[in-house]
Amino acid sequence: MGETTPEAEPRKLAEEARDRVRFEEEALELADQVYRVARRLVSTREEAEDLMQETYSRAFRAWRSYQPGTNLRAWLLRILTNLNIDRGRRQQRSPDMQPLEEGDYFLYNRLEEAGREPSIEQERVDERLSQDDVVSALSEVPHDFRDVILLVDIGDFSYADAAQILEIPIGTVMSRLHRGRRILKSQLAEQAVSA
Amino acid sequence: MAPGLEADPCAKCEEMLQPYLDRDLTDAERAEAEVHLDGCSYCRKRYRFEAELRRFVRHAVSEEMPPDLKRKLADLRTPLF
Repeated sequence: MGETTPEAEPRKLAEEARDRVRFEEEALELADQVYRVARRLVSTREEAEDLMQETYSRAFRAWRSYQPGTNLRAWLLRILTNLNIDRGRRQQRSPDMQPLEEGDYFLYNRLEEAGREPSIEQERVDERLSQDDVVSALSEVPHDFRDVILLVDIGDFSYADAAQILEIPIGTVMSRLHRGRRILKSQLAEQAVSA
Repeated sequence: MAPGLEADPCAKCEEMLQPYLDRDLTDAERAEAEVHLDGCSYCRKRYRFEAELRRFVRHAVSEEMPPDLKRKLADLRTPLF
């Protein structure tokens, strides 16, 4: 059974090199999507770039521990979120606070009170909120909630993938997502109405 | 309707907004929400707003990766020889 011919070792090395190259190519193809989450996990573009390079450096070294056929994007994000926690970047963001959380209609109602509601039926969010409002409001959401919003709403991960990446139960993902969106809308209401 | 079940149907509809958009309701709950939405422009406007808001948030916070970062990541690959 065991290959003991002199050709076996070079062949094994060649196969491994081929698998590694394939892994690296697939990981690089996902870099844009990984960056989209990374960029909002940290405060600055420079931090996001550092985090991406550390993540890919670690991923390329640890490629053998990736199981082909499983979700490579989730595997990369798990490395990235762990690195982010390890480096203490998370703590540099907004301090944990008792978040302001209102009902799901709160933002619309506040905009309406402020006279920014549309006169027609079609809802045009972009007429009432700016991109900066959203970026700023998201940065004010405590990180436990923000991480889940980033993975599910921005990164398109399933609840199950987000649970695996963050190493928390799926029920916690769902409750943090639900509350996190409400907190985000409360922050948006403050941004938009005080503007 | 079960006794005591939601004196305020709009409050209940508000509670169903997120699971509705996440497609995380049972068929019966979904039907219940849709019956209410059909007859309630107050809730309908807010549901439309929420759906649009999600798209807007996603677009607003998405930033393209700098091209030179992609090159730097490619440089991290293990050299073949």
